[in-house]
Amino acid sequence: MRTTKHGLHRGLLIALTLFVVLSMAVFAGGQQEGAGQAEGGAEQAEPVRMTAGFTQEESLETLSPTDAWQYGEMGCMFWPLVYDQLWIMGPGPDYEAIPALAKSWETEDNQTWTFHLREGVEFHDGEEVTAEDVEFTLEYFVHSDPVWEYQEVMTTDIQVIDKYTIQFTLEEPHGGAGGKYPPGFWTPIVPKHIFEPVKDSIPSYPNEEAIGSGPFQLKEFKSGEFVWLEKNEDWWGEGPYVDEVVFRMFGSEDARDMALKRGDIDMIGYAGVDPVSAKQFEGLDNIEILTAGGLQIPWVTFNLHNDTPIQDLAVRQAIMYAINKQRIADIVYLGYAERVYGFIYPEMSEFNPNVKRYNYDVDKAKEVLAGAGYTDTDGNGVLNDPETGEDLEFEGPINSQKTYMIKTMRLISEDLAEIGIKINVKPTDQSTLLDYLYDPVSDNYTISLIDEEPGPYADWVWEFARSYENGGEGWNTAYYNSEEFDSHLKALLSADTLEERKEHSYAMQRILSEDLPFGFLVRPEAIDPVRTDNVTGYVEAMGISNWINPWSYIKAKPVE
Amino acid sequence: MAETGLLKTTDTQKKKTREFFQLLLGHGMGKTGIIIIIIFLVMAFFSPLLWTNDPYKSGEAKDILVKPSAEFWLGTDDMGKDVWSQVVYGARVSIMIGFIAAVITVVTGAFVGIVAGFFGGKLEEGLMRIVDFFMMLPILPLMIVLAAVLGPSIWNIVFVISVVSWPTTARVVRSQVLSLKERPFIEAARCIGAPNKRIMFREILPNVVPLLFAQSILMITETIYAESVLSFLGLGDASKISWGQMLHFAFESGAMSNSPWWVIPPILSIVLLIVSFSFLGTAVSDVLTPGYKEKRGY
Amino acid sequence: MRNFLIRKVIASIVTLYAIVTANFVIFRMAPGDPIRMMFRDPRVSAEQLAEQTEKFGLSGSLWDQYLAYMGNLLQGDLGLSFWQKRPVIDVIAERIPQTLMLVLTALALAVLIGTFFGALAGWKSGKKTDSIILSTSLTLYSIPSFAMGIVLLMVFAYILTIFPLGGIRTPASGFTGIRSVLDVLWHMILPAFSIILWYVGEYILLTRSSMLDVLGQDYILTARAKGLRERLIRKRHALRNALLPVITITGVNLGFAVAGIIEAETVFSWPGVGRLIYDAVLKRDYPLLQGVFLVFAAAIILANFVIDLIYSFVDPRIRVGE
Repeated sequence: MRTTKHGLHRGLLIALTLFVVLSMAVFAGGQQEGAGQAEGGAEQAEPVRMTAGFTQEESLETLSPTDAWQYGEMGCMFWPLVYDQLWIMGPGPDYEAIPALAKSWETEDNQTWTFHLREGVEFHDGEEVTAEDVEFTLEYFVHSDPVWEYQEVMTTDIQVIDKYTIQFTLEEPHGGAGGKYPPGFWTPIVPKHIFEPVKDSIPSYPNEEAIGSGPFQLKEFKSGEFVWLEKNEDWWGEGPYVDEVVFRMFGSEDARDMALKRGDIDMIGYAGVDPVSAKQFEGLDNIEILTAGGLQIPWVTFNLHNDTPIQDLAVRQAIMYAINKQRIADIVYLGYAERVYGFIYPEMSEFNPNVKRYNYDVDKAKEVLAGAGYTDTDGNGVLNDPETGEDLEFEGPINSQKTYMIKTMRLISEDLAEIGIKINVKPTDQSTLLDYLYDPVSDNYTISLIDEEPGPYADWVWEFARSYENGGEGWNTAYYNSEEFDSHLKALLSADTLEERKEHSYAMQRILSEDLPFGFLVRPEAIDPVRTDNVTGYVEAMGISNWINPWSYIKAKPVE
Repeated sequence: MAETGLLKTTDTQKKKTREFFQLLLGHGMGKTGIIIIIIFLVMAFFSPLLWTNDPYKSGEAKDILVKPSAEFWLGTDDMGKDVWSQVVYGARVSIMIGFIAAVITVVTGAFVGIVAGFFGGKLEEGLMRIVDFFMMLPILPLMIVLAAVLGPSIWNIVFVISVVSWPTTARVVRSQVLSLKERPFIEAARCIGAPNKRIMFREILPNVVPLLFAQSILMITETIYAESVLSFLGLGDASKISWGQMLHFAFESGAMSNSPWWVIPPILSIVLLIVSFSFLGTAVSDVLTPGYKEKRGY
Repeated sequence: MRNFLIRKVIASIVTLYAIVTANFVIFRMAPGDPIRMMFRDPRVSAEQLAEQTEKFGLSGSLWDQYLAYMGNLLQGDLGLSFWQKRPVIDVIAERIPQTLMLVLTALALAVLIGTFFGALAGWKSGKKTDSIILSTSLTLYSIPSFAMGIVLLMVFAYILTIFPLGGIRTPASGFTGIRSVLDVLWHMILPAFSIILWYVGEYILLTRSSMLDVLGQDYILTARAKGLRERLIRKRHALRNALLPVITITGVNLGFAVAGIIEAETVFSWPGVGRLIYDAVLKRDYPLLQGVFLVFAAAIILANFVIDLIYSFVDPRIRVGE
């Protein structure tokens, strides 16, 4: 008996050790395949690699063409580097439409468009890119998942004229920012020969090879760990100049920023660092801090469907007067932020400087509330509704995954407490919160914060205010309904000239500022510390790496 | 471990209790534990007097991530809030959650344990199956799942911890009751026709009190631990200050590496508090071991 | 013996069934519309919603959903991940080797170190060595492994910069063969350590108390009376017998030990099942969360069953006792 016992626990230990060793071996075996390719490349000179760091929340988990792409930061960067589009938006400050797969395009009526494709462009697997691929993309791909359904690629008719010419008719006329941008923005052209067999289940196609025709091709992908891209030698355009691009995932912002300091990465993969982290990079060798007005605009959204005093314009005005925007800029963004008044960035030509601005003014806020009859009748420090006698107390769920939002909402609730309005700040996970926001009818929120990255070509962002009656499709978190606004929006989208367009844009900015479905606060800067000892020539477009800006990877050059 | 060595009810309860605490204070770990716990209790009770700044109030721009100074004893966080005040306030939340969850758990566990042990038979069988089932569950994943589904709030955390933890107590109490049932004084009570309710709560309950005390201590440490882990994983109540929350925000902020004064105090507090309760727990179970008194020469 | 086995198997199956059912119920309690939440893009049409509701088995009455869920489960189908849009079982299977590697290494080392010091403490019960070991292990055991992880990360990766900042390997390294194994080992040191320190505390406490029990038994007293040398008694008699309960308790404690894995994997972004549960929570990927939970539960039940089995072979008293 004793020997059995003795044998047993020794046996257990041996088994355990064996298991560990074996699993390591199996694991290492799994590595062989991908690594074998690297061996071959290693015979040449050391490849120049550009590495960008992402956080765990931003990382790409799958290459299948679903919302994981567009709504994940790493996906947003991966996609324009691996796939070509018909045209691509150039870097700032002009943000021109640059011909890509299409070398030219024309239209008579803004509704029927003809695109002439570049000849001899190949996918990474050697197949040529033709009009058939474009047709397939518009026919199936853009309908596969709501994430690809932009109005500007919704067609009623598609015709392949010849191998390199395609003509399609849009459901709605497309003014394209007064002719500046043709349809097809942010729509990858996918290889028909790969996606056709799975055309009815595109979103669940694993797409492990990720065959595109873009400036980089996939070398290795490890879900939630890294994306390893190498230069597409046969790319039609100028560049890229680096041999490899690697997107690396880190467990936290801290780890990522530390990696930049240590030299493990060259740049931050999306929208720069948190302002509190920026200071640590000042004065370091081989590190330069680039700043620019950022892409992202956060704003306050009010739920006008909610049967509370929030429906009273006076209350919303008072709230906007009472919020100390400078303090938000100072505390949440450490001064790296500028005031904004609407969806349009102040440097844009369509920015309307004459909207109602609601500059910080507590007295004015109190005056507005008193004028509308709100007084503290029960003496609890919170104002009461003159009709129902209820407290001005609002539900404020907030995205618990974004610290800047929690901070902003806290400051707002501190400010509003001053004028007798109480906000129940409730940190909520992102998915549940978005469900609340995008479904205002469910009345799960009264006041909250939301953010978006409108970009220079921001026609889509107006959808946030389009009424449900006039075709609003769920973006409208405020349950806002203004016929005047909707008619301007319709006119703007099909406007032929910049002048005509500007007129409508101005009107829409003014209307939103008067009706206040949304309250605009500040626009954070993109703070990008970059290493200068490996590559140089980072390209700015509201930050050096974001969904409108893949240019840094294409244009950066190795340091000699 | 604490299932053995019980005091008899017939003796004067007061004397026993005094002796128990004397032994506890004579135990090195017990003393250390009690002292640290008292310090934290003082922090929790008198936190409004101890905090130097309102822990909920954001500071001004100049106050952000300030190093420890005369004004901010432990520096400030990324919203300019005083770390010392938050640590003091956090003690309040952590200890409160710990005590409430411990009370719920131990009361439920004791009730189930006594009922199961006393009545036996099918009832016991059924109750113990449920207990076994709960004890098989992966605790933290279950807590994560429940917290995710129920939403972030302090009360949900208390609820989650209670749901998951009561079976341990139930099991320990039951086996204690099983051995008590055979004791003469219970037999005697039965003979004189005392109703079951009376026997269970007047005769048996007082005898499991020391055991429940030990269990409560265990539950408090587990609760404090669980709250900190859930908060750290972002499932806590972000509108309340707790040590786990502080760590969560520090870890998420991107400023942790440069501001150790923001990270170390909450970690140290969590560890110290749990350690002190573990020390106390060990001491209690030592003291309850039969023969301990004699060994120490009392 | 056969009866015992059958009873164990039935008990395990019943427990598993109860967990599976509880799993189903819990996730029906979640706030919000899970299908809506699946689409980050709000421009989702009613047809698309209906289609996905069908696809994810959320249409029909609760009872129908339950039957469909159980039916799928029996075929090993855990549903589709909301976020990754691929079978949950695939997503989890990918992560299992990484987790096993980390946890088994940590466990093996922790058992070795823990039983050694635990036995030593038990043997020297009441002496200074004992109280030092005891208080150290209590302290180690009290430090949540995420806190330990943060400290290790700050000290060794941020400040001293001698270890990696997380992950399982150097990304895009192209390492092959032994170099890739070494690379993984290199990345494993800090996360493993944060778990080991925690487990060690536990094993010391377990072995110590088990040792104390054994030392009080008659046969040890007999051995001492026979004048056997202390070392021999410790090795031959006491330790060997003290280890058995440690093995059983390991099984019971697995449910608890899982916590260490989740925390370490989160802090060190180790791509295992533990971090998957964190990711699934962040993204409210309910099918994935459900799947991971089920896998953890099943693993624990299985481990307990195996340990019961081993134990019943080794110690006949158990069988009789049942």
